[in-house]
Amino acid sequence: MKTREGAEELIVLTDVVLITCIVQRGAAEQAVQAARRAGAQGATIFYARGSGVRQKHLGVLGVTVSAEKEVIYIVAASDQADRVFDKIFTAAKLDTPGMGMIYMTPLEKMATYVPKEIIDRFVGD
Amino acid sequence: MPRKLRYGDYLGQVRVRHITLSYNQVTDFDAQHRPRPRLRPRDAYRLLAPYLSVRFLDQFRAVIPVATFLVAFQWFALQSQVAGAGGIALGLVVVMVGLMLFMEGLKHGLMPFSENIGHLMPARSSLGSVLLVAFILGVAATFAEPAIGALRAAGSLTDPEQAPLLAYLLISHPETVVYTVAGSVGLAVLVSMLRFMRGWNLKWLLLAVAIPALLLTAYMAMDPYLRPIIGLAWDCGAITTGPVTVPVVLALGIGVSAASGKENNALDGFGIVTLASLFPPLAVMLLGLYMSTTGVPVGQGVIPVAAAADTGLIDGVVAALRAIIPLTLLLWLVQHFWLREKIEHGHIILYGIVLCVLGMAAFNIGLSEGLSPLGAQVGDQLSSAFHDGGDGALYSYWPGLALALLFAAILGFGATLAEPALNALGVTVQNLTDGALRKNTLIYSVAVGVGLGTMLGVVKIVFEVPLAWLLLPAYGIALVLTLFAREEYVCLAWDSAGVTTGPVTVPLVLAMGLGLGRAVDAQEGFGILAMASVGPIITVLTVSLWVQIREWFYRFDFGRTA
Repeated sequence: MKTREGAEELIVLTDVVLITCIVQRGAAEQAVQAARRAGAQGATIFYARGSGVRQKHLGVLGVTVSAEKEVIYIVAASDQADRVFDKIFTAAKLDTPGMGMIYMTPLEKMATYVPKEIIDRFVGD
Repeated sequence: MPRKLRYGDYLGQVRVRHITLSYNQVTDFDAQHRPRPRLRPRDAYRLLAPYLSVRFLDQFRAVIPVATFLVAFQWFALQSQVAGAGGIALGLVVVMVGLMLFMEGLKHGLMPFSENIGHLMPARSSLGSVLLVAFILGVAATFAEPAIGALRAAGSLTDPEQAPLLAYLLISHPETVVYTVAGSVGLAVLVSMLRFMRGWNLKWLLLAVAIPALLLTAYMAMDPYLRPIIGLAWDCGAITTGPVTVPVVLALGIGVSAASGKENNALDGFGIVTLASLFPPLAVMLLGLYMSTTGVPVGQGVIPVAAAADTGLIDGVVAALRAIIPLTLLLWLVQHFWLREKIEHGHIILYGIVLCVLGMAAFNIGLSEGLSPLGAQVGDQLSSAFHDGGDGALYSYWPGLALALLFAAILGFGATLAEPALNALGVTVQNLTDGALRKNTLIYSVAVGVGLGTMLGVVKIVFEVPLAWLLLPAYGIALVLTLFAREEYVCLAWDSAGVTTGPVTVPLVLAMGLGLGRAVDAQEGFGILAMASVGPIITVLTVSLWVQIREWFYRFDFGRTA
C-alpha cells in the first residue's frame, strides 16, 4: 500500500496464535469444520508421516492407526484461540490414544489482506 | 422478562476446563512405567470404525456396480429373474468382506516380508541365491493364487471328442498344467530380477519373449489337434497375475531394484507382471507340444468332471490355508535362516497372515456362492438374446447378438473401472509422467481396452473363430506399437494389462464366457481373458504414443518461438 508520502506500508497483525493439530490421514476435514464453527477464518492442511508412543503400544489395534498423517495449521486471534483449540480437540477425538495431538504457539506477528473498512476504522493517522 | 446471568458463570459453562500438567512429568512417568493405553469401548469404536468403513467401501465400490449391472441386465434385457437371489447377495457380501480382509492382511503380513527380502538379499547373498529365491517365490505365489482353481472349472466345458489334447491336459493332468504355469511364473520373476540388477530394457526383453510365443501360437493354430490349447495357454497368463502374485512379486521387485540402484525412477518394479503373464502361455504351449509328441491316449479323457465349483465351507478354508501357509513359511524361512534378520512387529505380521487366510477363505466361499453363479447365469441366458435354444430367441438374431456384444463390452469396461489395483497404478503414473498421462486417461483407456477385448472374446466363442486369428493380429499391433513407444510407456501398457485382470474381473468374465460357451455348444470356452488382457495393451500404447507425439509437437513449437 502507498501512503500519501509514497513510502511502503503494510498492516501487521498482533495477538495471533498458531494452532497446529496432527491427525490421521482423512480426519482433518472434520477438525477443520469444527474450527470454522468456532470462529477460525481458515486452515491449511498438509500431508506428513509420523507415529507416536501411544500408537506403538496399542497392540493389535495399532494397525488401525496409520503412519500417514495430516497436519492442520490454523492461525487464530488470541481471544478465539482457546475455543477453537477445545472444539478441535473434541471433534478430532483426541482423547483416544493414537488419534493425534494439538498444540498452540504464540506468533509474534502476521500479515495478510485486511479489509479497507477495518483499516479506516482502527488505524489512525 | 429478562433474566440476569453473570458473564463469569456463562463462561464457566461454555468453556472446557483446562487442567495443566507439565509434559516433563508425563515423559518421566512414561520412561519409568511404560503404561499401556487403557481403551474404553468408545475408543475401540473410534479407532475401528473409520478403519473398517474405508476398507469395506473400497471393495464395495469394486463389486457392487458390476453386480448391479449384471442383475439389471438380466432383468431388463433378458427378462428373467435372478435364480437364488438371496444366496447370491449373501455371497457378494462375503466376497466384499473377504477381499477387504485379504487386502489388509496382504499389506501387513506378506508385503513387509517380501519387500524386506528384496531389500536385503542382493547385498547379503550371491547372485545365484537371489535368483533361486526369486524363482521359488514366484512358484509359491502362483500356487497361492485363488483363480488358479478357476482353470479346473473352466475345463468342465471341454468336449473330449473335438479337443482331445485339451481335455486330456485338463481332466487327466490338471496338476501338470498348474505346475507348468507356476514354474514359468517363477522363471519370469527370476528373469525380472536379473533385468533389475543388470538394467536391461523391457522393450527388447518383451520382443524376445513375445515373438517366439506368437510364432508358436501360429504354428499350433495350423494343427487342428494342437489348436484348442492356445486358448488355455493365453488365459493362463491372464489368470496367474492375480491378487497374491502381483503384490508379493512387485514388493520383491521394488526392493531389489532399490537395492541394486541401477536407475532410480519410479518405474522401479514395473515389468515383472508383464513377464509373469507372457511366460505361462509360452510354457503351456510347449507343454501341449510335448504331450502331443509323447502321444495322448485318445478317449481317456471322457471321464466326466466332478462339479468343480462345488466348494463347501471347509473346502474354502482348507484351500486358503494351503495357499497362504506355505508361502508365508517360505518367506519366513528365507528371512530367518538365510538373511538372519529379526522379524519386527511379530504380532502385526501374525495378524496380517491370519487376515489373509480368513479373507481368502471368505473370498473362495463367496466366489462360489455369489459372483460365479451370477456370471454363469447371465452367460447362460445371454445366448437366449439371439440363439434359439428351443423356446425361441428373445430378439431377432442380429439385434440380439449386438445386445450380447454390448453387454460384454460394458461388463469388461465396468469391472475394470472398479479394479482397485488400477486406481493405485493410475496415481503412480500421473506422478511419474508429471501429469502428461493423467490418472483418468489411463484408467479409461485400460477399461476401454478390456471392454473391447471382452467383446472380441465373446465373438470368438459365439462364431467359433479360431483364437489365433484374433490373438495374433492383436499382439502383432501391440508389438509394433511397442517398438515406437518410449520405455516407460511400454512398461506401463504391458503391466496394466496384467494388473487389470484382477480378483473380480477374472471369475466374472470366465463364468460368463463358460456359460455362453455351454449355451451355444462351443468347443471350449477359453480365450475371453486372453483377449481382455491384450486389449488394454493396445489402447494404452496408442494413448501414450499420442501423448508422445503431443510432447514432441510442443517441444517443436517452443523450439521455434524461443
